Amino acid sequence: MLSQRGMRRLRLFGMLILLLSSPPAVAATMAWPDIEARAKGQTVDWFMWGGFPATNAYVNGYVAPRVKELYGIALRQVPVKDISEIVGKLLAEKQAGKTAGGEVDLMWINGENFRTAKRHGLLYGPFAEHLPHQKLVDWSKPSVRNDFGEPVEGLESPWGSAQVVMIYDSERTPEPPKTLGALIDWARRNPGRFTYPAPPDFTGSAFVRHVFYHAAGDVAVWQGPLDEKRFEAAAGATFRLLKDLAPFLWRQGRTYPENPVRLGQLLADGEVDFAISYHPAEASKMILDGLYPESVRTFVFEEGTIANTHFVAVPFNAAAKEGAMVVANFLISPEAQLKKADASVWGDFPAIDIGRLEPAWQAKFAALPRGAATLPNDVLQRRQLPEPPSEILVRLEKGWDEHVLKGRP
Amino acid sequence: MTLPANDNRAERARSLPRPAATIGLLAPALAVVGVLFGGGLALGLVQSLGYLPAAGMSALSADHFARVLADPDFFKSLAFTFYLALASTLVALAVGVAAALALNRLAGRSRAIQFIFQIPLTVPHLVIAIAVAFLLAPSGLLARGLQGLGLLPSGVAFPLLVNDPWGVGIMAAYVWKEVPFIALMVLAVLQSSGAELLEVGRTLKADRWQRFRYITLPIIFPSLGAAGLIVFAYTFGAFEIPYLLGQTYPMMLPVWAYKAYSDVDLLARPEGIAAGLVIAGVVTAAVALAQGLTQAARRRGAVL
Repeated sequence: MLSQRGMRRLRLFGMLILLLSSPPAVAATMAWPDIEARAKGQTVDWFMWGGFPATNAYVNGYVAPRVKELYGIALRQVPVKDISEIVGKLLAEKQAGKTAGGEVDLMWINGENFRTAKRHGLLYGPFAEHLPHQKLVDWSKPSVRNDFGEPVEGLESPWGSAQVVMIYDSERTPEPPKTLGALIDWARRNPGRFTYPAPPDFTGSAFVRHVFYHAAGDVAVWQGPLDEKRFEAAAGATFRLLKDLAPFLWRQGRTYPENPVRLGQLLADGEVDFAISYHPAEASKMILDGLYPESVRTFVFEEGTIANTHFVAVPFNAAAKEGAMVVANFLISPEAQLKKADASVWGDFPAIDIGRLEPAWQAKFAALPRGAATLPNDVLQRRQLPEPPSEILVRLEKGWDEHVLKGRP
Repeated sequence: MTLPANDNRAERARSLPRPAATIGLLAPALAVVGVLFGGGLALGLVQSLGYLPAAGMSALSADHFARVLADPDFFKSLAFTFYLALASTLVALAVGVAAALALNRLAGRSRAIQFIFQIPLTVPHLVIAIAVAFLLAPSGLLARGLQGLGLLPSGVAFPLLVNDPWGVGIMAAYVWKEVPFIALMVLAVLQSSGAELLEVGRTLKADRWQRFRYITLPIIFPSLGAAGLIVFAYTFGAFEIPYLLGQTYPMMLPVWAYKAYSDVDLLARPEGIAAGLVIAGVVTAAVALAQGLTQAARRRGAVL
């Protein structure tokens, strides 16, 4: 029989255990105003790929001063060459038992790196559903719900989106093909006038995935667990199609442009009639920069083109989790998304569903100067296909190299 | 009487720094070479043997080398690399020597010519590669110029000189870049020696070819050989020019190594490093062979 004091001590001990075993800083279960209160005065170190000047200018010149002003958060951008370095670092910290006070508070991430981080338990959360602005995000869209086939499950919050578009010169090609199948027929009828960057280039690899969806005749099925037999059949058909197409490509398919920049140059030089871009607004910017003629336009296939979303995530051991969440919430605010979509700032596509905004905000998005070659948002958003899981991506790249490029059976 | 000679040698030895001091003086330079270069090679070797703990690989094996060597394309790539490195070097040497001889005659009159000739030395290989692409592509400056003059019906009729099966574009870029380097190495030797010997040759009624073959060539050969080896080693191992101007496939070995190293599959990384070490091995072997051949020829008394 325990004494009264003993009981009390036991209860205290129990509470202590409970406290210790619960995740550090239970921000996710706190009310939003409390999170904002705790975020005040925090310094948030945002690790992100720093290779794009427009993005850096947006983060340092706009986001950082605004979150200081609105929430008293000091936001510091830490540019890195590749976020995979940070995922590796977090993995090492996890193995070394460093579960709190980490120096990374927020990271810009998607795809393969998200999958690695999620599978190794390197992410804090789920936190995304706690952000007030989350109601502006259309989570029913496959390209938001799944990040390259990996369910997001609230472990990252969307920041922006990108979608593959085909670029052409409306003067040279007044009637561009409407579907991928029609494009392939067009390429066969016009030998030497079409090509795509050689995978594993990011854009070239995305083109091969479109061909894969076309050859497989289905998109949704690949989001689930991989059916090996089905994949083999679809991949085989993809490579056969591309191998048969090769003699009709630019330079008879004996060589390929190494990246989309080179492909764009071939389009501008009149060597080919189409270029491919993963950035819907890029062609307009190229016209503004004088690199494409005024008559250049873009289109998406009727069956859709692959779109992906890029996200921000909070590491499991971040020191300023509340601050990071507040920044993530600000990033999907109508104000921040509008600024980001401005072609003169960055021109990145919104991660939020414009239709969910109040009419006044909708009007502001509609009034954004859109480049001549950029498709309207509703056209793009109606025709989005999800990225397949990264495992499929890697196997298609390898298979292309083997069967299409090197011509092995 | 051997004593004075010994004394003399002892004297000379004393005036030189002792071996320990020599090593001490060289230590900073040796440390840089040893740690950065040697260390990098050692790390590369370890990783190419499959030691990559971050990716869960920690057993040493020669599998990666075996896989690289067993790839049906490897020898194709190796032969292609060897052909291009050798051809670029030989063409650059021939043009470089001719340029040096011409400069030697002209430079006395105009320093400006020599200065202009040095400009390509300061331009990075990457820039040269892009310049060659702009110049020689079917939609390049040359093709457009010919079209404008009505000498060419369309860009399609222009011969394929970039991303072509024979590596013409790669070779053009290397020759353009390396000719001034070779010419200046040779010119330095020509300007410091040879004038009197050529006079003698002339008085002995040696014709131009004979004077070149028996006087000039032997004088410039050591620096010519050294320059050639540097150019060969560089072209064999450099990445940017073949990446930009080469065909997607078959590719030169440095491009192969880069592609394997930057593969999303971490397992392909050791293969990339293994390919890189093969490049280092071939270059080392080529240098050793060239030195050996030169020395053997000298011993036989060949005029080189």
